[in-house]
Amino acid sequence: MKRLKWGNVLVTAYLAVYLLFVLFPIVWLVLGSLKSRYEALLVPPKLIFRPTLLAFDKILSGGLLHVFGNSLTIGLSNVVLAMLLGIPAAYGLSRMRGSARNNISFWILSIRMAPAFGLVIPIYALMRGLHLLDTLPAVIVAHLTINLPLAVWLLLSYFDELPEDMEEAALIDGASRLQTLTRVILPLSGPMLVAVGLLVFVFSWNEFLFAFILTSSRAQTVPALIASLAGTMNFDWPLMSAISVAALVPAFVVVFFAQRSITEGLTMGAIK
Amino acid sequence: MARLQRLARFPLGFVLPAVLVLAAIVAFPTVYLLYLSVRHWVIIEPLRYFDGLGNYVRVLRSPDFWNSARVTAFYIVATSLATLVLGMGLALSLNRSFFLRGVVRALVVLPLLVPPIVSGFAWKFLLNREIGVLGSYILPALGVKASLLADPNLALFSVVIADMWSRTSFMFLILIAALQSIPGELYEAARIDGASMVQEFRHITLPLLVPAIIIGLIFRSIEAVNTFDLIYVMTQGGPGTATMTLSIYGWKVAFTSFDIGRGAAIAVMMLVATVIGTTVLIRRIRR
Repeated sequence: MKRLKWGNVLVTAYLAVYLLFVLFPIVWLVLGSLKSRYEALLVPPKLIFRPTLLAFDKILSGGLLHVFGNSLTIGLSNVVLAMLLGIPAAYGLSRMRGSARNNISFWILSIRMAPAFGLVIPIYALMRGLHLLDTLPAVIVAHLTINLPLAVWLLLSYFDELPEDMEEAALIDGASRLQTLTRVILPLSGPMLVAVGLLVFVFSWNEFLFAFILTSSRAQTVPALIASLAGTMNFDWPLMSAISVAALVPAFVVVFFAQRSITEGLTMGAIK
Repeated sequence: MARLQRLARFPLGFVLPAVLVLAAIVAFPTVYLLYLSVRHWVIIEPLRYFDGLGNYVRVLRSPDFWNSARVTAFYIVATSLATLVLGMGLALSLNRSFFLRGVVRALVVLPLLVPPIVSGFAWKFLLNREIGVLGSYILPALGVKASLLADPNLALFSVVIADMWSRTSFMFLILIAALQSIPGELYEAARIDGASMVQEFRHITLPLLVPAIIIGLIFRSIEAVNTFDLIYVMTQGGPGTATMTLSIYGWKVAFTSFDIGRGAAIAVMMLVATVIGTTVLIRRIRR
């Protein structure tokens, strides 16, 4: 009994401190986004102030909305492409036998582990040669280098665990492999497809290095915009905070509505 | 028999499109990177030519490269160990049921999904010496008068804290998955034998967690080598070269000095180091 009590005290204290550590920067960001430029500079900071939506208004009126549009387009295109290419590949690999299967899936895993910096220079040089710098397709392709292996890998381990009985029944009834995939396998995979789609979108939405190197203005994404504003001399803290808060939306949506499925996805990708 | 043949034959058509796309966007650029690394190519100069190992020699002779290698090594060790210790605490704490556990777990996972550029910006905002609530108000009140991000000795430490904030959840997820696969009977048996909590952790939990710890450390190390966004937004590698990890250094060489060839040589060396590191460690796990 005694050990349990002390354990609980320790655990509660640890979690409380950790949650404070996690929440403090986010709360401060939200507060910062609601301040005026003058209030954001006050030391000691004012905790009671009249909140203003001026900074968010600047996103709308300052022509920054297209940056969010870019991030959204790149993210959704990645979801579509990763699914379109990844689902058949994962299903095919899952039903393949022998060394080809192992070699291909190991190759795909190794891409996932390779440092992004190794790809950014050649992709930059290639996109430059193709006159595709600062276009959405350049970033979409760059993100796919991570997202396609991720999707294949997660779906492969999911398809591996589906029982093959129903599929075999469909095949014996004369269904083609493609029909089996669309009518038998996919209806069983709804939650997993959602989880993979969310992971792919969030990766794309959050990614900085490729977006930063490959874009300058027209195709700029939200993280690249934040970094470029943070690099200027005349800081507009409320505006940067407001953009950051808006950039947090997908993280919050995913963590509170799909945490279970997406974290399973995250650890599976790591442990397999 | 016909069915077996169909089973054996069909999948290539399914697999091929993805394999071809990855060959085009990953394998080909990797080969192209090798090619770029033996070329002299500075974007602002007209001349391009084959330079053999010239880029590699110049990189290896540069003191900045060795400084970055040291900073990166420190960054890998510091962030891996810090996230391991914090993540272990979280996994042990959340591996039991209590009121609001789901919400706490969600909040613990949250930073992992936050764009690292936002995590970095948030910490820069907090630690700023002029206006940040921690840097200008709370820390000076506690006696820390230096500016964390502008002091060469403290800047790296500040970046490590932001990294801890951002990536501990990853370690937590790996460790809690492993913890939940430990059978409860082991603890029951230990309890009957009168083992203390510390003994349980030392003799049951820890040994069974070793594979997960190693996997976590591999992934964290790869991530640490790759970390660019967090450091870029907080310090851009500065002050001086205090937080200049290899990826920041490579970026500076390739994209601010426009020396693509030398940048490519740095990238190749990072690639080789990562591949060797992971292969060695993966073999170790399998053994």
